[in-house]
Amino acid sequence: MTAIPDQGAHTGSERPTFLSRFQLRGAVWLAAPAVLVLLVALAYPLAIVVVRSFTDPAPGIDNYIWFFQSAVNRNVLQRTFVVAAWVTLASLICAYPYAYAMTIVGRNVRLALILCVLVPFWLSGVVRTLAWVILLQDSGVINSMLRGIGLSPVKLIRTLPGVIIGMTQVLLPFMILPIYSVMRGIDTRLLQAARSLGAKPWRAFVQIYVPLSLPGVYAGAIIVFILSLGFYITPALLGGPRSTMLSSLVQNQVLSLLNWGRGGAMGVVLLVATFLLLAIAAPLMRQKHTSNRREA
Amino acid sequence: MKNFARAFALTMTCALALPAFAQDKPVAGEVKEGSLKGKTLTFVSYGGIYQDGQVAALQDFVTKSGVTLLNDGPTEIAKLKAQVDAGNVTWDVVDTADLPPYVHCGTLFQKLDLSKLDVSKIPPGQVGECSVPAMNYGVVLMYKNETYKDNPPKNWVDFFDTEKFPGIRAIDGSGDPTGGLIEQAFKASGGDPRAMTPDDIEKGIQKLRDLGPDTIYWKTGAESQQLAESGEADMVMMWTGRAMTAVKNGAAYTPVWQDWLVVMDQMTIPVGVKDTDAAYALLNAYLGANAQAILTEKTSYTPINLDAKPKVDDVTAAFLTSTPERIGQGYQQNIPFWVKNFDLAAEKWSALLSGN
Repeated sequence: MTAIPDQGAHTGSERPTFLSRFQLRGAVWLAAPAVLVLLVALAYPLAIVVVRSFTDPAPGIDNYIWFFQSAVNRNVLQRTFVVAAWVTLASLICAYPYAYAMTIVGRNVRLALILCVLVPFWLSGVVRTLAWVILLQDSGVINSMLRGIGLSPVKLIRTLPGVIIGMTQVLLPFMILPIYSVMRGIDTRLLQAARSLGAKPWRAFVQIYVPLSLPGVYAGAIIVFILSLGFYITPALLGGPRSTMLSSLVQNQVLSLLNWGRGGAMGVVLLVATFLLLAIAAPLMRQKHTSNRREA
Repeated sequence: MKNFARAFALTMTCALALPAFAQDKPVAGEVKEGSLKGKTLTFVSYGGIYQDGQVAALQDFVTKSGVTLLNDGPTEIAKLKAQVDAGNVTWDVVDTADLPPYVHCGTLFQKLDLSKLDVSKIPPGQVGECSVPAMNYGVVLMYKNETYKDNPPKNWVDFFDTEKFPGIRAIDGSGDPTGGLIEQAFKASGGDPRAMTPDDIEKGIQKLRDLGPDTIYWKTGAESQQLAESGEADMVMMWTGRAMTAVKNGAAYTPVWQDWLVVMDQMTIPVGVKDTDAAYALLNAYLGANAQAILTEKTSYTPINLDAKPKVDDVTAAFLTSTPERIGQGYQQNIPFWVKNFDLAAEKWSALLSGN
């Protein structure tokens, strides 16, 4: 059931048998710095947040009762997941062809494409978001162009589509890179083999290539989805009240009302909801994947 | 016997302490030469030209007292709470928004001993139990000249009248609710803001909600300025500093001064600072006429020393809120009411801002 045999084209598929006990112990040491950082910088603060959500201001589950009794919280939680789903879908639609293009072009063009993906990483998210404000606003670049060619302007800023556009651009690299790294490993001779057996190009692509690229898609989708759930700056600047996400409400509780217990409870609810969703999605992904493999 | 012991101890403490503090009544802006040599104070504010201006205003104090002044920021009440809870307060003097010193008076902020400060030149009614003002500014309604031409809005009631004055509104959604705005909204819905009850908060908020889905809630002062400069909104609720900058940058908007909302930043000393007297010395120096003149020249905010004589250009002068005319037009929110109902107002405000 593991994914490793799928990557048949990988030259290193036999490596695990060479892994001696000595190497295993070495691996533990190699992972130690990262584990340590995670413990100090993630696990410990997270534990405090969880504990506080049950103890601040009084022991019990009052904070959680408050969360689910408030229609505002429930609406915004739901909206947060909807926005994350849209952003994931939009990123996938943009990233898949892009990543594919990266695998079929020459070396120089590929370098240029990678550069285009990475440049946004070097800019602060705030700067990029403010650039989107200038592009999307009613008197902005996009609407000026629309007016210039005689079309009526569209409302983009402070709308949900505006938020989705901005978030998609910020998160696109996280979708492109995992998909590209999987696509790069796909043996294109499989496509030629399918063609030689009589499959039309699109059929070979859909039945051979796409299933083989799915691990990258899943990885990218999960990363983008989870990152979207916690977005704060972009929805705050590009969105209006109707696109406020849960992080804004957490911020309000923690920074302005000093209700750290409630803020913690909101974070825990978001975290648990995310885990639940992943737990539901993971078996589906695996199943789909194997069945496709069998067909192929 | 117990009482006697306590009285005796108190007397002894005073007697021991007296020589150290035996100085005349403090005078705003004055500090004793070399009195803070070797000491360090951390001043916390909101950064940008504002904090730069405050540091410039304190330069004379630093030079004279010999103190080392460190800067930190931006002010986060949550960070301060973490410091106070942990018993390790590293922020000595903190500039805050207008309500926190009232909401957290005695818990996060020290009750001020006014014998250590000269508050005689502060405009009346601005000294709190735990705070002195850091500067004054206003929240004004700015309208777009092109939209309203000969029939401009004259006050906040017009701001809430979308039939007579159609157009997109932009409101301060950068943080806590602005009590004064909710009071004005309640007034526009036919209520008397001076007799507001907690239930009326929802009525005021509803009036804001009624402005419609096109209403913009700006998140930063820069965004409000941008809304005016690009002409996106027809009426913008703006901080006077940002309004002035927008006008200087060519925004064709006009301020409405009737019932402009009086706002101030506050200067506070957190509970548990290492050297309270040094913090008082900084506050007292900050309140001086010269320091305040420098602050205004650098930031365009209104000084909180009535004797301050800043030299500013015409546009800046037009947006200062300390002239007798402006003081007459200003609207002061009901601070005790909003302090008492802070959580309720914040909750309703947060619901409004999340589209509920």
